[in-house]
Amino acid sequence: MDAPVYYSRAEYIETDTGNKVSRRATIAGPQNIILGGKTVIASGAIIRGDLRRTGPGHAVVISLGRYCLIGEGCVMRPPYKTYRGNFNYYPMKIGDHVHVGSGSIVEAATIGNHVEIGKNCIIGKFTIIKDCAKIADNTVIPPNTVVPALALFAGSPGRFVEDLPESTQEMVEAHTKGFYTRFQPATTER
Amino acid sequence: MAPSVDYYCPCLAASPHPPPPHLPSSSDSFHPLHNLFFCEECDAVRCNRCVMVEVSGYYCPNCLFEVPSASVRAEKNRCARNCFLCPNCRNTLSVVPSDPPNDGYDRMSPIVSTSLGEPPFFLYCNHCRWDSAQVDITFEKPTGLAAQLQKFEDSAPEALEFDRLKEHFEPFLRASSSSSAVTPSSSHHHSNPITAAASSALARDIPGVSKYNPLSRSRSGRDKSSHKADIPDYKARMEVGAAAGMGAGGGEADLEFMRHLETVAEVATVEQRWVNSWVSSLHTDDLKPLRIPLQSKKSKRCPSCRHILIKPEQKAQSVRYKIKLVAANYLPAISVSLPHARAALETMKRSLNRSAAQSEDQSPAAAALLAGKTYSFHISFTNPLYDPIQVRLKKAQAMPAPGTEGAGEKAKRPPFQVNLPSAAFPIAAFAEAWEYEDDEDMFGLDDDDDLDGLGRLQKDQRSKTRTVGVVEKRANVTVVAGEVILTKESRGNVKFNMLVSYTYRSDDPDPAEENAMGTPSRHASSKPPEMKNFSFYTVVDLGTIAPREETIHDTDM
Repeated sequence: MDAPVYYSRAEYIETDTGNKVSRRATIAGPQNIILGGKTVIASGAIIRGDLRRTGPGHAVVISLGRYCLIGEGCVMRPPYKTYRGNFNYYPMKIGDHVHVGSGSIVEAATIGNHVEIGKNCIIGKFTIIKDCAKIADNTVIPPNTVVPALALFAGSPGRFVEDLPESTQEMVEAHTKGFYTRFQPATTER
Repeated sequence: MAPSVDYYCPCLAASPHPPPPHLPSSSDSFHPLHNLFFCEECDAVRCNRCVMVEVSGYYCPNCLFEVPSASVRAEKNRCARNCFLCPNCRNTLSVVPSDPPNDGYDRMSPIVSTSLGEPPFFLYCNHCRWDSAQVDITFEKPTGLAAQLQKFEDSAPEALEFDRLKEHFEPFLRASSSSSAVTPSSSHHHSNPITAAASSALARDIPGVSKYNPLSRSRSGRDKSSHKADIPDYKARMEVGAAAGMGAGGGEADLEFMRHLETVAEVATVEQRWVNSWVSSLHTDDLKPLRIPLQSKKSKRCPSCRHILIKPEQKAQSVRYKIKLVAANYLPAISVSLPHARAALETMKRSLNRSAAQSEDQSPAAAALLAGKTYSFHISFTNPLYDPIQVRLKKAQAMPAPGTEGAGEKAKRPPFQVNLPSAAFPIAAFAEAWEYEDDEDMFGLDDDDDLDGLGRLQKDQRSKTRTVGVVEKRANVTVVAGEVILTKESRGNVKFNMLVSYTYRSDDPDPAEENAMGTPSRHASSKPPEMKNFSFYTVVDLGTIAPREETIHDTDM
């Protein structure tokens, strides 16, 4: 029933697994980034895969699951801290069906499955967001916060507002899959 | 705002018919589909307002520790580990060493290592930079903070007073637990012996507050006299006035403090002091870190048959449920759209040649509902059942039928008429998700086709007749069109109640018959499967009617 979301075919690169990445997004250190498939990275997004853990060997910096959306102008940056006198970046893991609204800045350590993050949010360093949680628009989540499962957080600092309905998982899944289906190249323009 | 459909739960009203949707109070009876439950035993919709809620487990929202219910009471419903809330902004506090490695720098940086550093440790807020050293709370080691704080908490006057109160009432609680079991209904009234005892003891001695006596409102005066005799007078540990001496709620001292205020931030806000059980100091610097209140997982029961509708898994952070009877699995999901608004949006997007997501929220003037015009709207039904269903729509009686309406006087005339398809229409069965899973590309093509179909339909509508009927069928979705005729002087929201009834094949007939269906036997064809009927009310909100003058103004600009 919802209208398709059109993009220009020239702007997006589609991978074999169905990821759609805008050419206008800044992807730093792509060898350190894993996309699960059918994930959309919109234009203007910045993903800092180059901020990797010091040390030899291959390191995954940012991993995203399936059916994710990184909205326009989002910044995804792995969290860092000084531990035992050593400055280091830590990997960021994001589950399936996660939508991040446009203009948000995410420095979380872990984001579970079926999480919705609104527009213009700031997710502080080492935040842990559990499954099916939701962050309202314009929320500031301070560093080291834990957002429990099925909780709605809003405000600055982000606080618990209410429990989400039991069917949140199905709704978010339908929404993210629906979005990917609706996100199609505009055919009429050419 | 986008058009919406909400479902009716009859729990608030005695009659099965929903209240007229234009009343503001009616919104309490209507809920989004995903917030509703469905009781199979009663064959009825249940909402969060009417279900019985039971706590099935407690957990701390910060450390996610599952607290056994036995220790919940002992820990006063709060986390007894390392979790604290900032008294200033209610953010969670982190433990930091007092001797940061990079002097001066670390205080600024919110990221501080917790396993290095020297004692004393203190609690630090990453958001507002409050720290517990301000209120002289420091710790020897960074673990087991609650235990270290325990002695302060236990020696606080309010805690001592509460313990004393508890001690005082313990015998009554024990005595009354046996008697209250006989009359469980009495808990609703103030005649409950526990509340009676508490109120008679607590309602005394409050200067300036007239004595609150709930017993005078209760039905039996006899209870009052009999219970009051049992309870010895409670002697407070501290007189009420004495609290002022401790820098809390004192008239003179507060006045002096207020007089020398330099910034508003020096006074703790009501919100910051609200949670304290005792009158506390006005000074912001006296706020203490708060232990984090626990949260609970809840199971839900049907109010009439007490069958469980929701039963979460034991694990606190699991989002799975052992039992989950949500209405979305039983009732067709309904969504409404206005094709003219969508078409307007579409043309705008293409003409601007802009990225779609940017203009998604802006609703152009062409998408508005104008008074005096007729609009068609599409209602899409998605069948969640594994069997095909037949759906019949009916507008609720609140508005007069279109035919009888003409003669009525103007004042009583409804601001709009709605025509819905009157014939029943089918919706195909829901197929398992995996059947669609790998065919998403095909889906995309489907959508394109649909779009063309809609476009054609609209052209037809503009040219001559306005269609009311089935527009489209695909998979388990059927879209029907209705139309709404707005009168010249209509205002407000286009909102109407719609009765949806559907027929489905009952699960009850034995499976043997189902097997027989496959074989071309005479028996199977002669006996149709048992059909059941279910109806429910919804409210359809098509949006606000744009006042004429304003829209003209808009288009001029």
